[in-house]
Amino acid sequence: MSLNKIDAARGWRIRSTQDLAAGLFMIVLAGLALFLSRDLATGTLRQIGPGMLPKAFAWICAGLGALLAFNSLRYNGDKLAGWSWRGVIFVLGAAVVFGLTIRGFEIGPLKVPQLGMLVSGPLVVLISGLAAEDVRLKELVIFAIAMTTGCALLFKYALGLPIPLAPWLLGI
Amino acid sequence: MTEMFANLSLGFGVALTLKNIALCFVGCLVGTLIGVLPGVGPIATIAMLLPITFGLDPVGALIMLAGIYYGAQYGGSTTAILVNIPGEATAVVTTLDGHQMAKQGRAGVALGTAAIGSFVAGCFATLIIAALGAPLTKLALLFGPAEYFSLMVMGLCFAVVLARGSILKAFCMIMLGLLLSTVGTDLETGQERMTFGFPPLSDGIDFAVLAMGVFGFAEVLRNLENPETRDVVRTKIGRLLPSWEDIKQSIAPCLRGTFIGGTLGILPGNGAVLGPFASYTIEKKLAKDPSRFGRGAIEGVAGPESANNAGAQTAFIPLLTLGIPPNAVMALMVGAMTIHGIIPGPQVMTKNPDLFWGMIASMWIGNLMLLIINLPLVGVWVKLLQVPYRLMFPAILIFCSIGIYSVNNQPVDVAFTALFGLFGYLLIKLGFEPAPMLLGFVLGKLMEEKLRQALIISRGSFMTFIERPISAGLLLVAVAILVIALLPSMSKKRDEVFTE
Repeated sequence: MSLNKIDAARGWRIRSTQDLAAGLFMIVLAGLALFLSRDLATGTLRQIGPGMLPKAFAWICAGLGALLAFNSLRYNGDKLAGWSWRGVIFVLGAAVVFGLTIRGFEIGPLKVPQLGMLVSGPLVVLISGLAAEDVRLKELVIFAIAMTTGCALLFKYALGLPIPLAPWLLGI
Repeated sequence: MTEMFANLSLGFGVALTLKNIALCFVGCLVGTLIGVLPGVGPIATIAMLLPITFGLDPVGALIMLAGIYYGAQYGGSTTAILVNIPGEATAVVTTLDGHQMAKQGRAGVALGTAAIGSFVAGCFATLIIAALGAPLTKLALLFGPAEYFSLMVMGLCFAVVLARGSILKAFCMIMLGLLLSTVGTDLETGQERMTFGFPPLSDGIDFAVLAMGVFGFAEVLRNLENPETRDVVRTKIGRLLPSWEDIKQSIAPCLRGTFIGGTLGILPGNGAVLGPFASYTIEKKLAKDPSRFGRGAIEGVAGPESANNAGAQTAFIPLLTLGIPPNAVMALMVGAMTIHGIIPGPQVMTKNPDLFWGMIASMWIGNLMLLIINLPLVGVWVKLLQVPYRLMFPAILIFCSIGIYSVNNQPVDVAFTALFGLFGYLLIKLGFEPAPMLLGFVLGKLMEEKLRQALIISRGSFMTFIERPISAGLLLVAVAILVIALLPSMSKKRDEVFTE
């Protein structure tokens, strides 16, 4: 909203924590991109190298971020709102668990065999379901079983996608 | 003219086979089914349903995707009318009068008007695409790399101006999208760029992964945070078919909406989003009694819904003729087409005429399907809308996970999507609107390629973009639109348009 509000008040102070954080966020991302592309050749305009556009975009991002942060000191705007860890942990965690278990993984001493959709499916529903504040366990368990059955029939049989169901039990 | 009808009849020949009609039907049905869910917009719907088209031949897959697209659009309108939750920006307008009509026990008429209005708009838009397809494709052949680059710059400028919220933040999102698009192996030298030396990143960030993370997962996180205020209409749905009186009232708004939406939809850079707003404003201005608007005026549903659908359809024109997606949904269609081995652009029409015209014909059939499916199934949608969110989002999640896994059969993609979900959530928290980022991301690779080609041809002189007349004209429009949008008086008006 910063550019549209013309009600710039006098004096310098943080008037929008959201815009300030957004500006800093852009600068940090641009910094990361510049760091990662430091070894890429920039080239010349006649023969553009692999590094020219990433660096150019990163500098523009940094510039826009600086402008955003600067404006947050002059124009009033929204405050930074709270962050809900519950949703992040359960919802995104559920997806990560699905990725880890569907075909199995090995990280150092940790080993998980290919569990397939018949295990990963209910896990996703159960774990993510915990993110809701009005979670009802019994309902969620029944729903997890129903959803997995439905998805197995739809994706594996009706659509014929090569997704493992339960290699350790059924061999498919 | 005769050529156009010859082409259309070729298209209908392709689209009217039993198999393709069935695919179109299934696409519309599941598109509506997912699109109806509150908080799931067309982008998330299409991303989620991409895998179900994988097993099909390209023509069938595209026909089904087009069906899904229209289904998702219409599903969004249904949610807007029945629950007062707009699935995406363009459905906001429908909530104003549509939900009021629903509260007065005229939900059926509102839904019916929306469906019929969309159908009428769809018929006209199909004709517009058929008429403009061939000439625009010829125009595309005049375009060299410099013109393409300038056209994309113009599209991105439009996208910045038309995005909701702060222009500066929309600009940030476009640049971030462009930056993300450079991750991966450099096309000319084969050097890895910004991949952290991590092999799955060397092909670049997968578009489906980014879209599903930012629009699927992050949206779930956003919805979880805001406690539900789902205001499903409790009154009777009432009869579906509008009365003679209703039809007389809505026919002119519907035609005007079609014209406005269809014209704006052709613009690169998400012109379609303006259609419903413009149509609503015009109807309100033209009405004898403007105070009825906002209290269940049928014109306020018929006009914007027609504009919405016409725009949604003519947005295919820049994609199919020039290969440039005008908005995030079309960007997703590019991803879907590429998966099936079709690179959108002028060559599609000349190389695969059956695919091109078959898809256009199936657009019309899709609109007809929506009319047939939705009117009898409204009761089912209402039931579906009463499913509590605590069950809805785990279902969304399992669909997304299976879908993402199936794109490349890569488990690591699911984890990446979760990471982008976190990224998207952060963007939402920082007040960024992620749709322009997706557009920047999709155009980024193409822009880089064209920029390099143009500069090689001009031996490193930037003047080539200004010396070539078409390119200069496009850049001039881009600069003009940015300047106009940044003028204080205009930016105030822009705020009004998007808040009304």
